[in-house]
Amino acid sequence: MSVLPEGYEALEPFVATYAVDNAGRRAEMRGEAPSEVRDAFYAAAQPLLAPALDYLDTKQFADYDSGDKQLMWMMLSLAHVAIAVEIQQEDEERHAHLRSFMPVTRAPADF
Amino acid sequence: MNTHAPVFESVAKEDVAWLGTDPIPATAYYDPAYFELEREAVFRRGWIQMGHVCELPEPGSFIRRELEVLKASILILRSQDEEIRAFHNVCTHRGTQLVEEAAGKQSRFTCPYHSWTFGDDGSLLSAPDFEQFNVAKEDCGLSKVHVEVVAGLIFVHLGTPESGMRESMGPLADRMDELPIARATTISEYVYEIDANWKLTYDNFQENYHLRFIHPSTAGQGCGGDNPFGYPEEYGFQGPHRTQTIWTNPETGIPSAVQGVSYMKIGEALAKRDLMIPGAEKNYFALFPSFFLFGNPGTHFSHVVYPISANKSRGVIRLYWVGDDENASERYAREYGMAMTRDIHVEDRSVIERGQRGLESGALKHIHLQTNEALLRHFFNEVDGRVQAYKAELEAQGAL
Repeated sequence: MSVLPEGYEALEPFVATYAVDNAGRRAEMRGEAPSEVRDAFYAAAQPLLAPALDYLDTKQFADYDSGDKQLMWMMLSLAHVAIAVEIQQEDEERHAHLRSFMPVTRAPADF
Repeated sequence: MNTHAPVFESVAKEDVAWLGTDPIPATAYYDPAYFELEREAVFRRGWIQMGHVCELPEPGSFIRRELEVLKASILILRSQDEEIRAFHNVCTHRGTQLVEEAAGKQSRFTCPYHSWTFGDDGSLLSAPDFEQFNVAKEDCGLSKVHVEVVAGLIFVHLGTPESGMRESMGPLADRMDELPIARATTISEYVYEIDANWKLTYDNFQENYHLRFIHPSTAGQGCGGDNPFGYPEEYGFQGPHRTQTIWTNPETGIPSAVQGVSYMKIGEALAKRDLMIPGAEKNYFALFPSFFLFGNPGTHFSHVVYPISANKSRGVIRLYWVGDDENASERYAREYGMAMTRDIHVEDRSVIERGQRGLESGALKHIHLQTNEALLRHFFNEVDGRVQAYKAELEAQGAL
């Protein structure tokens, strides 16, 4: 049985890695997952970003079910992963080392 | 039809010549004796940004902040009568630090050692077996720290202020009042420690000369055309503070897939909250001694460099948001804005440490600054003026 809302089954293989409920951990996961996993997640999630946000925008946070929460967290992970894939590209490995010295300690999504 | 992109005009040498043109001494960036003078001359005698009012949302809210340069722990609170107050986090009995929690909500503070209890006005409310002491309770209140709020930012002064923070800022205070930071209700934050002097660290973020070399993929897109280094359009000076007006590159390329959706979501979120403030994205405020604010409402961040020793510092970067996340799109936009800003900042840290190691070798006696490093020179002049004046005071007292 799918843990994500209908239409987002393509993201199921990435739930364990990228459905992370904390901004600091999401930032860390960008660098921790192997590059093949990161690139595969980006490829699967990028076309779903706009529709996922449109879908989630129809609900209040308090009304999210478990699948909605997982989808939200994965889109938030995509915010980090996309910068690796689209901006840093071949510099991402070096960049991951630099980021390790600047942890995210607080974000509104954590509350 | 002829179309011409706007021509960038660099700040001219003569515009900033009044700041001086001589090289500046390298020792100021690593000498422990110079740092000891800075502790008193700059930090004991200056306003230091330590928090934001949104961290004290209701009566009883408090935060504890460490200020290593003055070996101080500060308790900042919102009292039951809605006043923002600050005290040394030190029990007036035998000096025990009163509060361990970084933040919380309470209106009384009890020392764990002998149970002295203080109110949110700092007064000593009770102390067990107090009759055995030879002092009045009225004389045992918490040591007060001067506090002032400007644009929602909480500044403290651990000495005797010669002027208020707002007063020292002149028109900059009103300009910052117009920005989202003055209305912010929530924060994103990332932090770093760095093996580098606080001024060397701060200086990195005052000049764009390095952008195309250190940030080729991130901030480097702010360079191009007739402004290959992405220099600012203008520098401003207001007492010890300074500003820059950031140049916008008209030739930025088409955003990539997620980046495009993200920028759109950031724009929509700002528009919904009426935060599209014209020109705000061009403003960069540097408040003495070590505070920055970037005006862009989409990535509206402050950056404070707190000194720890002559060659160690701590940086705190915060993005400010108005209102709780309203929906998924706004939550996403804020996460992307934070991640993008952090990607740029992390690229600076290691090169600053390399600079520190080079300077500490003693190989350089002086540092040469160019026209577009004018803010660094103004900053050094402000610091060194205070250090030399303080040194003269000490010499006059026979203390040096």
